[in-house]
Amino acid sequence: MTPADLRTALRPAGLVTEQPVGRSTAWWGVMLFIATEGTVFAALLGSYFYLRFQHGVPWPPDGIAQPDLRLPLVMTAVLVPSSLPVAWAEAGIRRGRRWQVRAGLLATLVMGGTFLGLQGMEYHENLREYTVTTNVYGSLFYVITTFHGAHVTVGLFMVCWLLAAAGRGGVSARRPEPVRVVAYYWHFVDAVWVAILFTVYLSPRL
Amino acid sequence: MSERVSSRAALVGGLLLWFAVLGGALSWAVHSLAAWSIDELACEAGHDDLAGVPLVGAIALAVLLPAAGATAALVVSVLAWRRLRPEPREDGDRATGRAHLLAVVGLWLNLLALAMIVFGGVAALVLPPCQR
Amino acid sequence: MPSSTAAARGTRPGPEAMASLTRHWAEAPSLRTWFGTVDHKRIGRRYLVTAAVFFGFAGASAVAMRTQLAGPEAGILSPREYNQLFTMHGTAMIFLFSTPMLFGFGNFLVPLMIGARDMAFPRLNAFGYWVFLFAGLFMWASVPAGAAPNGGWFAYVPLTDERNTPGLHLDVYTLGLLFLGISTTSGAVNFIVTALKLRAPGMSLNRVPVFVWAIVATSFMVLVALPVLNLDNALLFLDRRFDTRFFEPERGGNVLLWQHLFWIFGHPDVYIIVMPALGIVSAVLPVFCRRGIVGYPLIVFSIVAIAIISFGVWVHHMFATGLPQLSYGFFSAASTVITIPSGLQIFAWLATMLVGRIVVSVPFLFVVGFLVTFVVGGVTGVMFALTAFDQQTTDTYFVVAHFHYVLFGGAVFPILAGVYYWLPKMTGRMFSVRLGRWAFWLVFVGMNLTFFPMHVSGLLGMPRRVYTYPGGLGWDPWNLLATIGAYVVAAGLLLVAVGVVHALRRGAPAPDDPWGGDSLEWTTSSPPKPYNFPVIPRVHSLHPNWDPRTVESTGPGATEDRILAEGRTTLCTSELDGRYERPVEMPEETRKPLLAAVGLLMVFLGLLLAWYWVAAAGAALVIGTLAAWLWPPRRTPQEAGVAG
Ligand code: HEM
Repeated sequence: MTPADLRTALRPAGLVTEQPVGRSTAWWGVMLFIATEGTVFAALLGSYFYLRFQHGVPWPPDGIAQPDLRLPLVMTAVLVPSSLPVAWAEAGIRRGRRWQVRAGLLATLVMGGTFLGLQGMEYHENLREYTVTTNVYGSLFYVITTFHGAHVTVGLFMVCWLLAAAGRGGVSARRPEPVRVVAYYWHFVDAVWVAILFTVYLSPRL
Repeated sequence: MSERVSSRAALVGGLLLWFAVLGGALSWAVHSLAAWSIDELACEAGHDDLAGVPLVGAIALAVLLPAAGATAALVVSVLAWRRLRPEPREDGDRATGRAHLLAVVGLWLNLLALAMIVFGGVAALVLPPCQR
Repeated sequence: MPSSTAAARGTRPGPEAMASLTRHWAEAPSLRTWFGTVDHKRIGRRYLVTAAVFFGFAGASAVAMRTQLAGPEAGILSPREYNQLFTMHGTAMIFLFSTPMLFGFGNFLVPLMIGARDMAFPRLNAFGYWVFLFAGLFMWASVPAGAAPNGGWFAYVPLTDERNTPGLHLDVYTLGLLFLGISTTSGAVNFIVTALKLRAPGMSLNRVPVFVWAIVATSFMVLVALPVLNLDNALLFLDRRFDTRFFEPERGGNVLLWQHLFWIFGHPDVYIIVMPALGIVSAVLPVFCRRGIVGYPLIVFSIVAIAIISFGVWVHHMFATGLPQLSYGFFSAASTVITIPSGLQIFAWLATMLVGRIVVSVPFLFVVGFLVTFVVGGVTGVMFALTAFDQQTTDTYFVVAHFHYVLFGGAVFPILAGVYYWLPKMTGRMFSVRLGRWAFWLVFVGMNLTFFPMHVSGLLGMPRRVYTYPGGLGWDPWNLLATIGAYVVAAGLLLVAVGVVHALRRGAPAPDDPWGGDSLEWTTSSPPKPYNFPVIPRVHSLHPNWDPRTVESTGPGATEDRILAEGRTTLCTSELDGRYERPVEMPEETRKPLLAAVGLLMVFLGLLLAWYWVAAAGAALVIGTLAAWLWPPRRTPQEAGVAG
């Protein structure tokens, strides 16, 4: 941006332009939905920090080991890139390429499913050491990750729904909205995972 | 509007107006969350520093930076408010009335936000950080 | 006149267009459509009636409590019953009456005020209503079962944890509020999107009625505040049912977490309740002053400012919990500053009254009642802001008196003003002015008689939430007065109900615009047709009904692109300037929202009674219904635009 741009932008003609503009009702609906869901997660992770700092050291308490990072990092490596095929599918629907939509969604489905499987493995490990009732750390760990896992599951339901709907011709270049909505939701679930990775797995080491 | 504006300048203009409306409020949100959590967490843990930074310094940052943000938003909103005079009975494609309303709302919001941040700063000057 | 000019200048919709509109929008009266309606006007009326019934229940609880407290050492209610009654009274007044009632007004009015034919998501709207109804019944059903919530409306842990309060009481509270939260959230999303996207062309932000601003700001507050309450309730439920340790200090939890989360929600909630009510005042008052509201930009500012700053005030509720003083310092600025925008609105109303010509109608009387009570509540609120005073009166009847002045004044009076003001529009009938005036005086006098003495008994040290008290402490006369007052209020409120029924049965047919109102709902018929507006107006000012050009735009100036008679269609416009974008299809009636709500009811009942398989079946029902509900409608291949 040049200073000249800034100067024009600050002239009345620049200030009165309506920008950004032209979103659909579905776009607003899903964004607001994501906003309140995001607030739930923010409050949940905020509660994590609040409880942790009110608790004091050592954290994790009661001799529980620092969370093992290997599996979570693999899970991250599976989940975060799964946003790409969704984005690709969204690009496909705008050009009316139904195969691209289907392929993209299938890839997401596989990656999301893998993530859930890995989470199951992780629980299997951890449950030997502590459970949700052991202490506040256990409660936080399992509730936060399960709540996120439930969101992944809902996202996968949405992807399945979309695969079925796209197969029947209900979704098209003229009606790309369903794909877009699912894509936004999926990106959101991914982004939340990054916040969880930081809070639950990385921050105790800081 | 007869005057042509490049699309980039238009986008910047639109976003600047948004900054004029909400910049102060955002700064205030950052200020209160940062200052509060710094203060409470550090005192709870019994430190008077935060990863090496003295607590008072950290709080001062949490006051001054947002104050600067709110001031910037205030300046933009005053500019916008002065430049956007709606004519009576305007109509058609001109949206000056709408933009002027937003500028007025932003102006007052920024003033309030700045006042709250300054209050916080004064409190930080007067009260020792961890007194209960 | 050559036909081309007529077409260019536009014209009223012809008889075929009107017939087509009716065909696409009208619902045949049948049981099917009764359960399946998506008409925002019907849904709005249902919200109002249902919330009024819950108000009746909560009011009956209050009368029972006041009867018990009329004299010392009375034995009408046991302490256990008293605990459940005050908790249900408070919880229902806050969650099941105020907000749903105001959302009912919003549902009925927002589309009409912005010149749309329905809400942005009509089926979601129907779903929200059914969920509200079921959640309300879910909570009230616990009263006859003897399992009603009993931990006060803010349910402080550790009083409410499993060890101190076994039984279902608090599970009804947590699950009931979570259930209700789904309805409130979906309503809020719907209001915001409707107000952003469906405004009539030309209605730029500076022409949006104050009431709509208030509903939208409230909705934003709901979207940010309510999730925090939901989380809090979910954690408490988990602690109680599944032995998690969030609030259990022995296992590293912290009881203060409950209070923090609750008041992050609770403080904005006061404004969530009051803000739309103030919006009603800003809609009613100017009309009976015969001029536009003074200081419209400042009122808009005040609404936005309150919505934002209210989040910074939550720490104020925790003067007794021992945080560092500096932490308070950061937030007490917010508590002080937030009085500025609140005061601004009052001055704007006073100025409007000063420069206007006042017509003392029944709605206006209630507005005046609001102003008086609300100002008294504000004064006692300022007394709280003085910290020392706060600590002395915490948990006495002074607090009870204060928040009833704020809530009764700030919510009930405006709601009653709204009931009388819009009754002609909602029902198509005029009410009896004499009944209305009687109702007003009974409510006004009774309300002050109930709550003013509570200030005194509070200052004399009477604690709140006691089921009885010893005589001879100087409290007796004030309590007796308060009880008499409660009966007078009850009589007044009954008279309001009688007035509504009377209007429905005997009322004269209402004209389209009985008051000379300024906003768009008065430009259409009373009650409005299912499609609201035969022609979607083009708005030229803040007071469209007083503005000849806007009025012309729906008559001789009508154009085809705003009649949209072919199909069930309304208009999408741009968010800020309200520029014409495109017509959008609206969904038809369907019973899927009801089915999804039934599924949710199964989920919550299953969780409450620990029949987890019922909960799982309910969840499956919800998912299946949603999948079918959102299934894309069939299109022709050209429409689908498929390449391969
Ligand atoms: C119809 C007239 C009303 C009467 C006679 C009444 C009376 C009472 C009484 C006697 C209490 C219990 C005080 C105690 O024992 O501590 C109470 C509590 C309460 N009331 Fe009302 N009330 C009325 C209307 C309202 C309204 C309209 C609202 C809100 C919109 C409301 C909200 C509350 C709340 C939040 C509590 C506190 C409950 C608790 O302590 O947990 N009331 N009221």
